[in-house]
Amino acid sequence: MAAPAVPVGQPIERRASRGLWGDAARRLMRNRPALVGLVFIGIFVAAAILAPFIAPFGPLEGGLAQRLQPPSTVHVMGTDAQGRDEYSRVLFGAQVSLIAGIASVIMGVTIGGSIGALAGGVGGKLDAVLMRFVDAMLAVPGILLAIGIVAFLGRGLPQIMFAVAVVNVPIFARILRGSLLSLRESDYVTAARSIGASGPRVLVRHMLPNSLSPLIVAATLALATAIIDVAGLGFLGLGPPDPRTPEWGTMLTDATKFIRQAPWLLFFPGAAIVISAIGFNLLGDGLRESLDPRMRR
Amino acid sequence: MTAGTPLLSVEELVVRFRTHEGTIHAVNGVTFQLEEGERLGLVGESGCGKSVTNLAMMRLLPQPAGRIEGGHVMFDAQDLTKLREDELRSIRGRDIAMIFQDPMTSLNPVLTVEEQMIETIMAHREISRDTARARAIELLTMVGIPQPEGRLKSFPHQFSGGMRQRVMIAMALSLEPKLMIADEPTTALDVTIQAQVLELLRGLTEQSGTALILITHDLGVVAGMTNRINVMYAGYIVESATTLDLFAAPSHPYTVGLLRSIPRLDAQAGDPLVPIEGRPPDMRHKPTACPFAARCRWRLDVCWQENPPLRPTIEGTPIVLTGPGATHQIACFNPPTVEEQVAGRPMRAGFVTAPPPAGTVDEVGAGRIGSTDDLEGMIGDIQSEEGPISLAPSAGALPLPPEPEHHTDGFLHDD
Amino acid sequence: MLRFIVRRLLGVIPVLFGLSILLFAFIHLLPGDPATAILGQHATAERVAAMREYLGLNDPLWQQYLAYLDRILHGDLGASIINNQPVLHEFLVRFPATIELTVAAMIFAAGVGIPLGRFAARHAQHWPDGGVTIVSLLGISIPVFVLGLTLQYIFAVQFDLLPASGRIDPRAGLEFRTNFVLIDSILMGSPSLFIDGLSHLILPAIALGSIPLAIITRITRASVLDVTNEDYVRTARAKGLAERRINSRHIMRNAWLPVVTVLGLQIGGLLGGAVITETVFGWGGVGTFAVDAIFNRDYFVIQNTILIFAVIFLMVNLLVDILYAVLNPRIRYA
Repeated sequence: MAAPAVPVGQPIERRASRGLWGDAARRLMRNRPALVGLVFIGIFVAAAILAPFIAPFGPLEGGLAQRLQPPSTVHVMGTDAQGRDEYSRVLFGAQVSLIAGIASVIMGVTIGGSIGALAGGVGGKLDAVLMRFVDAMLAVPGILLAIGIVAFLGRGLPQIMFAVAVVNVPIFARILRGSLLSLRESDYVTAARSIGASGPRVLVRHMLPNSLSPLIVAATLALATAIIDVAGLGFLGLGPPDPRTPEWGTMLTDATKFIRQAPWLLFFPGAAIVISAIGFNLLGDGLRESLDPRMRR
Repeated sequence: MTAGTPLLSVEELVVRFRTHEGTIHAVNGVTFQLEEGERLGLVGESGCGKSVTNLAMMRLLPQPAGRIEGGHVMFDAQDLTKLREDELRSIRGRDIAMIFQDPMTSLNPVLTVEEQMIETIMAHREISRDTARARAIELLTMVGIPQPEGRLKSFPHQFSGGMRQRVMIAMALSLEPKLMIADEPTTALDVTIQAQVLELLRGLTEQSGTALILITHDLGVVAGMTNRINVMYAGYIVESATTLDLFAAPSHPYTVGLLRSIPRLDAQAGDPLVPIEGRPPDMRHKPTACPFAARCRWRLDVCWQENPPLRPTIEGTPIVLTGPGATHQIACFNPPTVEEQVAGRPMRAGFVTAPPPAGTVDEVGAGRIGSTDDLEGMIGDIQSEEGPISLAPSAGALPLPPEPEHHTDGFLHDD
Repeated sequence: MLRFIVRRLLGVIPVLFGLSILLFAFIHLLPGDPATAILGQHATAERVAAMREYLGLNDPLWQQYLAYLDRILHGDLGASIINNQPVLHEFLVRFPATIELTVAAMIFAAGVGIPLGRFAARHAQHWPDGGVTIVSLLGISIPVFVLGLTLQYIFAVQFDLLPASGRIDPRAGLEFRTNFVLIDSILMGSPSLFIDGLSHLILPAIALGSIPLAIITRITRASVLDVTNEDYVRTARAKGLAERRINSRHIMRNAWLPVVTVLGLQIGGLLGGAVITETVFGWGGVGTFAVDAIFNRDYFVIQNTILIFAVIFLMVNLLVDILYAVLNPRIRYA
């Protein structure tokens, strides 16, 4: 007999399944890009929450005597044209971005999800009408739609959140409607129906939970675009009404006037936006891979 | 055996796939030959290595996972495993043509049938487009496509499945190849169309003297089509015989199983259908014992320890690999007797299927000690004395063990 | 084929209705009396009354909507409150600049993205996904204005290689005829003006094209890899075709299909991004026109820029759908 044989009839080792979410969490933890994304998000969220405690200066504190100082041990990111500490302003800026980002995505999911659930769940004429509006919204470039809404509603943080939320509405509406439609046709919903489950019960118990994972992925990716869109509105001068508010996009606009004297004022808020966006994009891609069991290798 | 070298000689071919799940031992030393005009059937379940063998011969294995790791493929005195890519290209399509299982996906959806046929011809012959087109029309007529001039301008999706496979056959025959490899050519077709396409394939290859390798999981398909049959299991040829010999005396338990698991017209009333239990083994390990042992009712203790070599059924017979006098060979330590071949189960008094050695899990009997399998073995003994007892219903209801994951990897084209 | 085009054209009409209702609603989003809001606090009572008449504010809502529909169908997009010029005219004067910018950005995105995607697919095994993944991740994560400002700082401020803003050196004396700088410079027969225009175009085009570049690279790579594993590619190899022919006729002919669709969808993002890019680079196109309009509270301009951009997006995608059908016989004969 040859060397210790691998037993012929041995069944392939099978891991115990921990359900959809357990499996997804396990796959996510093995997804290195997603972990990098989580680290970036962690930095971003920590900056927002801890800003009042770790920021060396107040966001509005400063004087013209210290204006446009390059990075130093006192002002690690230098100071801006009003002599305010850039590092503190970037930290406080995370609060604006985080709050506006999360609020707008929640609004977008709620509005878009309701439209999608209504269209996909009820179907028929209502579906057709709602989806034409969704198509119309999709035809308008996102940032232009947001600009338009802020321009017509007036400036203010709630208006900004609403405008960015509206940009995402058609995306969420389509996702929820699409997965509801495909699920309606799928075998296990037919099976649930055939054992006598009622319509609304099928919708709530079987269909919604399964539409959830594409929605979660889209919401994570939408956070990245929401942060960019909020900063974009700020950059165009449509940020928070008080121009002194530490908001990354507004800070960038202010910095453009001093691009020669103080390029660091471009660099730090820009890097903050990019890092937060990368974080949510990486996490979103990672979630897509781990929530979709078909992607399993 | 006729004089001279055979048209095709595959020698100890070894193919492995490197995947995320580990190395798959797809083909583990396969040797066979083919003479001009001969028609050979390659039979086995999905994943047994029959398609991989042929893709490897043509060096069309999925890259970079699949690799030829040993052996030679001699065709027309050239070793296909050693040719340069451009030398090989002039053989593909011209000397060896292939048709594949699914005519739905094997033709390019955005090119007309004309473009696809003409490019094949013009890739190998220095002729004008018009001549090539005339040839294409001639070929389409030959495979029975009505109004071939008109149909040339059509796209694949405008043809039915059977018609598409006829187009594939026409394309394969366009350069009068010496060898045609047909990989499950009728599996994706309606049953009524299957017979027509097979008949067409047989007629045309016979007419032109083209050798044929027909790959299938269905012994019924090869019966009327081929001169010889190789039965493959887990990357090995486990039985090789002329078609007549194989059907007259299937000698490997696996072949017996294959034959007993298809309904037959000549079966006597009450003869049970006997399915082969279990699944092919995990190909991530190169078998060191008989790969079929776990599913075999005839196994002995030795079957758990050694992998039987392929050798003649009658000891001492000289080995002839081709032609009507080809030697009947099997890879088995304990071949079924003639009565057992008919019954599809061991009938010898006192014979007990060897239990799996300690430390291994028996796929057939996993977790079912004292299962119907053992029971049936015992009844088999009784039966030989007391007449037939049908076990078909209970045998058919046996639960299958979970399907090994690697079969869903998708790069093995057997499915 | 004709039926397909007609069907797609008819499909756009309900979407245009939806769009017009949304934009109509915009005017009623304005706080207080829309007419006063549009004209500003200091407008005379007669002007406000005239505006109310124009908008039909005294009529029921559905009549107001029909009147609005009637106006836009006749090309009446209102007048700018700044100079009282028709919005459509003001828009068309600036539009060539925006077209020039978006077309250049698209050429950059597709011209780099498609070859990059093909390259990445061909070397998918040797060159782990890393490279392209990082490029496309950065592409979608860096906002246009951050990239634009960075490019401006590096190439214009720091190294003075390219102009920081504007469409052309105003001292060079370009005569505007078509309002396309590149075309006008050719019309004047001046290579130096052409080069000057081109050098102004480079940075904004790269900034604007980076997002579509990332997306196009990704989709091209994925599409080529998908098609490479198709059965008909194996058939083509088994027929003994040359690798080059397999690539161009069997792989690319099919791999184009998703790429074309994505190219069309990028138009929306490009037009939106142009608004911001133009602001960064002082590019006198429709984008800066719209942004200026925000601060001037020139609502008709904002409303109708949205309308025109959306119509352009729908039309481009209609064309793309038709192109898709031309490339894909399964649709053409469906």
